[in-house]
Amino acid sequence: MQKQITEANLRLLIDSLLLKGQRVVGPRQSGSMVLYEPLASASDLVTDELPRRSIKEAFFPVCEDLLEYRKEGQQIELKDIDPARFPETVLIGVRPCDAAAVPVLDAVFSWDYKDQFFLARRAKTTIIGLVCTTADDACFCTAVGLSPNDPKGSDLLLTPLVGGGFLVESQSEKGEAFLATWQDRFSEPDGTQTQALATPALQPFDLKKIKAWLDDHFEDPAWDSIAVRCVGCGACAFVCPACHCFDIVDEGSEKAGKRRKFWDACGFSKFTNHASGHNPRDLQPKRYRNRIMHKFKYYDDKFGQTLCTGCGRCIRVCPVGIDIAGVLEEIQEK
Amino acid sequence: MTQTIDISSYSTITDAIRSEARRILSDSTVSAVIGYTAGRRKGSTQPIVITTADDADQLIFTAACLNDLVVYLTKAKKDVPKSGRIGIVVKGCDLKALVGLLGESQLKRENLYLIGIPCSGVLGSLLKPSAELTTETIASKCCECSDQLPVGCDFVPTVTPAPLPDLEKRYANEIARLEAMTPSERWEFWKEQFSKCIKCYACRQVCPFCFCEQCLCDRNRPQMVEQTPRPSGNTAWHLVRAMHLAGRCAGCAECERVCPMDIPLNLLNRKMAKELKELFNSEAGFEVRDTGPLTSYREDDDQSFIR
Ligand code: SF4
Ligand code: SF4
Ligand code: SF4
Ligand code: SF4
Repeated sequence: MQKQITEANLRLLIDSLLLKGQRVVGPRQSGSMVLYEPLASASDLVTDELPRRSIKEAFFPVCEDLLEYRKEGQQIELKDIDPARFPETVLIGVRPCDAAAVPVLDAVFSWDYKDQFFLARRAKTTIIGLVCTTADDACFCTAVGLSPNDPKGSDLLLTPLVGGGFLVESQSEKGEAFLATWQDRFSEPDGTQTQALATPALQPFDLKKIKAWLDDHFEDPAWDSIAVRCVGCGACAFVCPACHCFDIVDEGSEKAGKRRKFWDACGFSKFTNHASGHNPRDLQPKRYRNRIMHKFKYYDDKFGQTLCTGCGRCIRVCPVGIDIAGVLEEIQEK
Repeated sequence: MTQTIDISSYSTITDAIRSEARRILSDSTVSAVIGYTAGRRKGSTQPIVITTADDADQLIFTAACLNDLVVYLTKAKKDVPKSGRIGIVVKGCDLKALVGLLGESQLKRENLYLIGIPCSGVLGSLLKPSAELTTETIASKCCECSDQLPVGCDFVPTVTPAPLPDLEKRYANEIARLEAMTPSERWEFWKEQFSKCIKCYACRQVCPFCFCEQCLCDRNRPQMVEQTPRPSGNTAWHLVRAMHLAGRCAGCAECERVCPMDIPLNLLNRKMAKELKELFNSEAGFEVRDTGPLTSYREDDDQSFIR
């Protein structure tokens, strides 16, 4: 279904949602950064900047409690965290490269183990995507098969119109339901042109060719030249909308505490450290190789998708200037 | 008023680094040179390790050459080969870190060939690597730098860095602002800053002094500090980091530059440096010292802070 909404009505809609007690999360200024955070009013919404961190934390937060324990003598009491406590949420102003990562995460979190924490939040969330009209030189969605107006992952997609307002297209049942509930705020499309799309500079990669190279170059001197500079932090994985590794740890005392799940990254030297002390990925190039292999080979082998949406975040934050798009170009040329 | 900073010398410096690297690689003075090279995006740079004279032309020096390359010399970076003598490009601030590591017996001077940069300053952030270097975009550390000309190197291109225009002393001003606060206001400030931390450890990984092979904060059997990015674990991490670097931090400000969450880490470092200067008249410099202010004891040490 296609509708149209004015900028003013969109803001009114957000305020009405908030007034109803609905949780609305979108890009907003948070100190020096723009982050996806709960909006306190419609005026908080920022529509012209890609948030520093991705939308994944709406379903997969930096850190969350999994259970609580308490021990009294021989008595051990365990308390589950009730996934029912997660609130209904509307995510608004989600960039296409972020929204597109959500189905990618769905695949892994509902695969052999159903992650109830992820899935419960996911079920209660409506995603309103926002088409990009500007890009910077780190953006490369178009090179990995997406585009600044890709509807993948969005329940509703907003496209800015020339002269203001948005074209609204529903992409799912959730989207339809949302349009029906708030029909007063929307009008029929009047044929106004949509604004020109952002134009990321990179030409589409030949992802098949890249994967074919990865398929038989687990060992290759290129890994050293690409990644000897990698210092092994978690910056790239943590800002990435598609990276989804986590660690689990018990924190507290012998008597009481919590079991927690928190982000982990294959760049860390301890990521594959065995209890024996042996580490199969003993040097940084082997860890960085895993980053590329997972994104463009292993994930594809398992789920038929690429674990990268070209958002460019890892390029912007890497302390040592490692540029994943540059790495892919290099592999493609081999 | 925003003023452009004169970095016209950087192309001369680039040429000089290239020819020196070519020379020391072809006559086998060194087995490798660690320097900077251009990245794919306009203006971007990345560290590079070159091992043949033919690769010398890949080296550059620009206002986007922010990395403190000294980190690659430490034992924490096993991936970078350390056989034979290694050439390395250092700015003044980087050199102070290297000198600190010499003092901590982490490096041997005779295994190094130091190519010093007569520096006119670098950008504060690489989010926009092609930005022009101005009084606004220049790194905060450069605004308070008195070490533009490195001392004790094996080679320094013969250019005199243009004197920097009058720059706002951002750290000094911010420290003064924080010092004027009440303890609880100050605590609120830092609590808010630490709450942003996602424990990506980029700050630790780029720090030349964080060379421990087993970081206390990664231990989980037993857990020494809470590992998770929550208020208690974050505060613990930031206190450990600040205290372990007190009297050692050379002020390259890499931790602050790389923090994806914009936490002003170097502000803590500068405050520590200020305290150490006041208490022990000790500060990072170009002279190798075999003991640091917190690893030595003198009868006349100030003890007034023990209460
Ligand atoms: S790998 Fe980098 S560019 Fe790709 S989705 Fe993750 S952060 Fe974005
Ligand atoms: S690629 Fe960059 S951001 Fe990622 S682990 Fe290596 S140094 Fe850190
Ligand atoms: S602090 Fe000094 S030596 Fe270091 S980059 Fe700035 S101006 Fe150059
Ligand atoms: S770089 Fe920033 S976010 Fe990452 S661990 Fe350090 S302080 Fe925390």
